[in-house]
Amino acid sequence: MVEFAIYSIGIGACVFAILSVAVRDIFHSAVWLSLTLLCVSGLYFSLNAPFLGVIQVLVYIGGIITLFIFAIKLTARIGDKTIAQTNNQVLISLLASVVFFVFLLSAILRHPWGRLATVKELPLKELGQSLLTNYMLPFEFLSLILLAVMVGAIVIGKVKK
Amino acid sequence: MVNVAHLIPLFPFLAFWVNILLGKTLHRASAWISIIASLISMVLSISTAQGFLAGAGSYPLGTWLTFFGQPIAFGVIVDPLTVMMLLVVTVVATLIMIYSVGYMGGDPHFSRYFAYMSLFTASMLGLVLADNLLMLYIFWEGVGLCSYLLIAFWFERPAAARAGLKAFLTTRIGDTGLLLGIFLLFAATGSLSFTDLSKANGPEWMLMAAALLIFSGAVGKSAQFPLHVWLPDAMEGPTAVSALIHAATMVAAGVYLVARCFVLFAAHPVCLEVVAVMGGISALMAASIASVNNDIKKVLAYSTISQLGLMMLGLGVGGYSAGTFHLMTHAFFKALLFLCAGSIIHGVHTQDIRLMGGLFYRMKTTGITFVIGTLAIAGVPPLSGFWSKDEILAQAFGPHPVLFITALLTSFLTAFYMARLMLLVLFGKSRSELQTHESPVTMRFPLVVLSFFALFAGLLGSPWMHHAFQKFLAFQVPYPSEEAPSKFVMGLSIGVSLLGIGLAYSIYILHRRFLPEGIRAQFGWLYRLLMNKYYIDEIYEAVFVQPFLRLCRLSFRFDMAAIDGVVNGIANLVRRAGGILRRLQSGFVQNYLLIQTIGVLIVIMTLLGKLCFQF
Amino acid sequence: MIPVHFLLEVSAVLFCAGIYGVLTRRNVIGILISIELILNAANLNLVLFDRYWGSTDGLGQIFALFIVAIAAAGSVVGLVLVIAIYRNGKSIFTDKFNLLKW
Repeated sequence: MVEFAIYSIGIGACVFAILSVAVRDIFHSAVWLSLTLLCVSGLYFSLNAPFLGVIQVLVYIGGIITLFIFAIKLTARIGDKTIAQTNNQVLISLLASVVFFVFLLSAILRHPWGRLATVKELPLKELGQSLLTNYMLPFEFLSLILLAVMVGAIVIGKVKK
Repeated sequence: MVNVAHLIPLFPFLAFWVNILLGKTLHRASAWISIIASLISMVLSISTAQGFLAGAGSYPLGTWLTFFGQPIAFGVIVDPLTVMMLLVVTVVATLIMIYSVGYMGGDPHFSRYFAYMSLFTASMLGLVLADNLLMLYIFWEGVGLCSYLLIAFWFERPAAARAGLKAFLTTRIGDTGLLLGIFLLFAATGSLSFTDLSKANGPEWMLMAAALLIFSGAVGKSAQFPLHVWLPDAMEGPTAVSALIHAATMVAAGVYLVARCFVLFAAHPVCLEVVAVMGGISALMAASIASVNNDIKKVLAYSTISQLGLMMLGLGVGGYSAGTFHLMTHAFFKALLFLCAGSIIHGVHTQDIRLMGGLFYRMKTTGITFVIGTLAIAGVPPLSGFWSKDEILAQAFGPHPVLFITALLTSFLTAFYMARLMLLVLFGKSRSELQTHESPVTMRFPLVVLSFFALFAGLLGSPWMHHAFQKFLAFQVPYPSEEAPSKFVMGLSIGVSLLGIGLAYSIYILHRRFLPEGIRAQFGWLYRLLMNKYYIDEIYEAVFVQPFLRLCRLSFRFDMAAIDGVVNGIANLVRRAGGILRRLQSGFVQNYLLIQTIGVLIVIMTLLGKLCFQF
Repeated sequence: MIPVHFLLEVSAVLFCAGIYGVLTRRNVIGILISIELILNAANLNLVLFDRYWGSTDGLGQIFALFIVAIAAAGSVVGLVLVIAIYRNGKSIFTDKFNLLKW
């Protein structure tokens, strides 16, 4: 049952991801991306990492995708049907990514991964503790980065009089 | 005793920088900066002279560089020769700068002129203070540069620019010889210091060749035959420049160099012979040209060549003190004559003596000083030129009959052409409607001071003062003997001088014809030969300049066709290749990214080749 | 029971789809979307291996968390840039931004 769910969600993620890069309309692309992210979040749940799954939904779908849609709507002309949405290196890019994929696949299949028994969830409390003890420094740096991004976004986005 | 000699060139050098950098703002004041700097140098020179008399001597300043294990020290040489040169240079330079205030008055490049003059003074003082040949060479080139800059001072006139170039290139030939001589001397003896010259030992032929090459530098700088051609053309520069550089100081640097290296020459009689013979040729040739030339400055220029030749001759016959004595007196009276000429040119605005005449009565100061200068150079006793010329004649008298006759003939011609110049310019009737006026006081003052020197400087070396000057100078080479200037030589010398003056007087004032018309006509070729300066310029033009220009044109064509062809071909190749490769640089981010991705793929596949595509 | 290689393959698909998108989209927002795909592929792998090797302090998850945060920050900056560029040039197509091209 769980396995079936994993397979279906995984295939869904793949399909939605391919759709999100393949569709013409950038707005649709954002919608397909949000579905992909949702599927990935499902995979996190199946891997017993519920915190990350929740974060995925909150930050990505709640934050980033919303931002994307805002940006798409602000730059109005982009969705215009008459404008080409891809450049002239589609074929070679497709070839490159397919070759890359085949390469990755061959690498993955060479290793006998076996199957992972359902693992126990890492309690959120422990996660938080290691975040604030062992990984304190990167955590604080991250907060600095977010601050810088905030300031930078305001400065760049401000309309210059 | 504080050694101040090394500070002497410093002040004119500073004045140069001040004037060249601030010339636009200073304008008129730049003259006074140069003059004050020269005055400080003069005071320092006098104090150096006093120090020398009190017993101070040369001193080192430090080691400049080490060369093949041989340290090349730089230092200051203080000996009679240097002391004399210091005094002459500073006095003459200061006077000529004062003169220039009036002479260059209206010139738009006033401050540039004084900057160059200061640089020249600094270089010249450095030259006489240098205690080794390498240092001397540096300042030697420095005075050469200033000479070039000042000859071509009015560079907007093509003739001046050409004359500057000619002077520079002609002296370059000699300078190259000098440099080679310095190399050779260093190779032979391992030292360039003047004090080591007396004990120089090395392969005989090397020392001899070095001496001759050094002499070639002197030939170039002192405008001796065959490199004399630049000096008459150098008269394109301002007359005050001619007085300072091309009469009193720089051209005397060649004589100074020979005197400075006299022990080297003296060790090889052949070298002395060469010096004497070249000096004699120059002296006689230039004197003969001067006798027919009609340009007041050119006459003086040829006279300078002739007098320098006489100095060389004096040195060459072993008269170390005679040559240097004449160098000093010549500096004064020739500077005086040039300044008088400048004053006259300033007054009448022409250089052609055929258009002048009767100026004596309208330019009193200039006229009187000019007469003094003429009598001094003509060798009328007791003026300065007489004593020094007499010394040279006396030195040549005994063992060198041919050179003695040459010198005597030169003296005669000198008296003749100078008297001719003086009589045509100053006396007789005015031959044209020239407006004349006496020059301003800044110009007259140096004339008076210099004529004082022209009158009395010679007495220092006269028998009346027991040859004090010669004994003072005779430092490395002892002065021969008291009775060397015999009464006979002295009488002969006075005789030819008076004969020359008398001949000029009878021809140009009394208009007497000595030779019948037929004979005169037959000697027309001689006159033409002299008027054309023995065709030396034309010969050089045909033998050196034209073939060289042809070679240049050939090289130019070769360069255009072959070298440029290859270079442009390569450039074209690169440009075409670039044109093709440019497409890679599309300026299009995703294109770069695609290439990058493919690159990463290739790298990974190469590194992990075993993993690739093996299911 | 979790099929490990299947999840790795899903991650590979996401990754390659992202690469394709980055290389072909003319639209800057499309490129940002593709970048999010690539980052998610990486995150999925991180979480999977965290579980697979049974880490005790959840290093893989924390790493993934950081990536999510930084990806969010990156998107914000990217989108602000998009808006600024759009305001200046009335275009957000990458092939129009060739000012630096010689």
